[in-house]
Amino acid sequence: MDLRFTETQEILRKTARDFLATECPKTLIRELEQGEMGYCPELWKKMAELGWMGLIIPEEYDGIGYTFQDLAVLLEEIGRNILPGPLTATLNSVFAILEAGTEEQKKELLPKIAQGELILTPALLEVDGVFDPSGIAVRATPKGDDFVINGTKLFVEMAHVADYILCVARTKDGTPPDKGITLFLVDRNAPGLSCEVIPTTAEDKLCEVRLEDVIVPAKNVLGTIDEGWPVVEVMLRKGAIAKCAESIGAIQTCVEMTVAYAKERVQYERPIGAFQALQHKMADMWTAMETSRYLVYEAAWMESEGLPCAKEASMAKAYVNEVYRHVSKWSVRLHGAIATSDDHDIPLYYRRSKAADIAYGGTDFHREIVAGKIGLI
Amino acid sequence: MDFSLTEEQKARRREFYDTCKQLDKEKPASLVGFEAIYELDECWDYNLYCAGEFAKRGWLALAWPPEYGGKGDMMDRVFFSEARGYYGIPGVDIFGVQMLAPTLLEAASEEIKREFLPPIARGEVMWCELWSEPNAGSDLATLSTTAVRDGDEYIINGQKTWNTGAHRAHWGFGVFKTDPAGRKHHNMTFILLDMKTPGITVRPIPYLDGSAPYCEVYFDDARVPAKNIVGQEHEGWAVVNLLAGFERSGINEIMNMLRGLEELVAYCNETKRHGQPLARNPLIRNRLAELACELEAARALAYRVADLQNRNEMSLMDASAGKIFFSELGERFAFLATDILGPYGQVRTSRWAPLNGVWEKMFHEHFITTISMGTNEIQRNIIAWYGLGLPRMR
Repeated sequence: MDLRFTETQEILRKTARDFLATECPKTLIRELEQGEMGYCPELWKKMAELGWMGLIIPEEYDGIGYTFQDLAVLLEEIGRNILPGPLTATLNSVFAILEAGTEEQKKELLPKIAQGELILTPALLEVDGVFDPSGIAVRATPKGDDFVINGTKLFVEMAHVADYILCVARTKDGTPPDKGITLFLVDRNAPGLSCEVIPTTAEDKLCEVRLEDVIVPAKNVLGTIDEGWPVVEVMLRKGAIAKCAESIGAIQTCVEMTVAYAKERVQYERPIGAFQALQHKMADMWTAMETSRYLVYEAAWMESEGLPCAKEASMAKAYVNEVYRHVSKWSVRLHGAIATSDDHDIPLYYRRSKAADIAYGGTDFHREIVAGKIGLI
Repeated sequence: MDFSLTEEQKARRREFYDTCKQLDKEKPASLVGFEAIYELDECWDYNLYCAGEFAKRGWLALAWPPEYGGKGDMMDRVFFSEARGYYGIPGVDIFGVQMLAPTLLEAASEEIKREFLPPIARGEVMWCELWSEPNAGSDLATLSTTAVRDGDEYIINGQKTWNTGAHRAHWGFGVFKTDPAGRKHHNMTFILLDMKTPGITVRPIPYLDGSAPYCEVYFDDARVPAKNIVGQEHEGWAVVNLLAGFERSGINEIMNMLRGLEELVAYCNETKRHGQPLARNPLIRNRLAELACELEAARALAYRVADLQNRNEMSLMDASAGKIFFSELGERFAFLATDILGPYGQVRTSRWAPLNGVWEKMFHEHFITTISMGTNEIQRNIIAWYGLGLPRMR
């Protein structure tokens, strides 16, 4: 046991921190929230040069070949600086390709992803808004060598700028909900596909994706037909841990900003940080952060080692969802009215706590998984 | 970052678990909770028996230097603590083995080490702590019990309180004012004393559940040898701080809660209400899952603290955070479990008590961890002042 970062991880961390501090100021984040694209192509290119999209892609596909745990270290820095854009959407699609892609698909897609030439995004949710297989109603029907997809996907992150949408669709009816599901790589420019950005709390460009008789060639089926749900479970598990890593970084920023402000803001002739009412709240925020941190690191380590970790991943997600929400809320509260202003940086984090919570499963969804894993019948 | 254990570590861990599992089978049914060993004779005897079993294996001297009979390393201590926590096995004197021994190794003279460490390692001498006083709790530096030097003795007068198991302990360690005119923090001495010394009177204090594991200790011209001090005379405060620094990771309590969760899950699977197992009740599922998440978070943080300690590093903040978190988790767990048990959640160990009444016991016992070893409010001060650098209260 050695719970320190490796030298590689320390370098990755420092590089990312320095890079984001200069390349991703809060002014850019606000611009991207207001703009239509939601990401900055020049910045995306620089990130590709740093190898971020290819971080966990094996070297044989022109990636860096780092571990999942290394990725978690990077994502923590991404979260510290709440970098907007399709990075996590693309990375989560990479999880699925690595898990279920054919050699041909990997050879075609992964090098381009690593180069920053392709943006992918998974399309899981639909009108039901649930992450379990019962929510998948979008229909894919075989037609000759192709499939025809019809239906509406919702809350698809940055679908409007993606090259491929990784669409989870039903290919067989009359089976248990988790059977008869297939994954498709759908060209976003395919005829019959349209995207519309949904206004959301975090202005993070979640899209409605409508598919009307969209034709997908059989070569774009990812994994085995009708057997796609286990791949979705991998995405949910890895996606949940990855999102937690991001959240840890965001939580850290909230704590740091609040402590710094409490030291400089003077009321009653002393810094407000001198009052125990506030000190204990900040101590609680710090404690919540540290308890989250090692829970997430443990899950990331297990994922990295290929150990079964559905329980730990869900524990981390369910727990961190709550911590991010509470810490960012208390960051606003301890700053006082100033942090309710849209010009303040803290609300950027508070609003994203909602997005982070929903992504890859909310608290109750993951608690139900945990309930089963601890042995409740 | 690596959470894995080596094969050798796994084997040693297994040995600790196997031994504790065996001892669990011999445990008296009346031993419920952490403090019952001080309460009932059969539980105290079992405590001594376990201590003897551990001593035979050298496990009361884990991570001590070899010249004092030590074996193993800090990780062994963690595994041993896990195993004892999981099976709820006593036998490791929290005061002698966990607090005093590392303090002696760090701060005592060679003579004191040679005299006091071996009986601790043999599990023969049990200790109690003599710190708090009626008017000196968290603000311990204001204590007033005096030890006046008289030749090669101290004459002690005053009163200590909240002394866990003082009525059972053979020896006690405490801080006493030796220089009433001296500056704060430079006026007290850390003294080791035989609890049978004439002039010492021990009175158990009735605890809120009717048990009496804590005592008050009165000193009336009690004469103790002046050679039995740790650190320099009048510099006991430094020793107190050193001892407080030997924070436990909390892994013992956390593993105890983990077993408690497993048993509660089994109870929910077996027990029907409204015609279906309690385990099918979505509210109970959600609340137990929430607790399981927090428990895993506590465990991961405890490993972080243990990992630091194993490398002789120390994060005061993480140790304080861990203590706050696992102790308040204990409160939440006691409340949740007694909620789930419904009317049976109020039944003390007896025929109608599910799970041997452990949750009724925990409804009272959780205060031990939130209040002792530096109250959680003091821990929050530590995080705020020393960790976050916020201005200290004047």
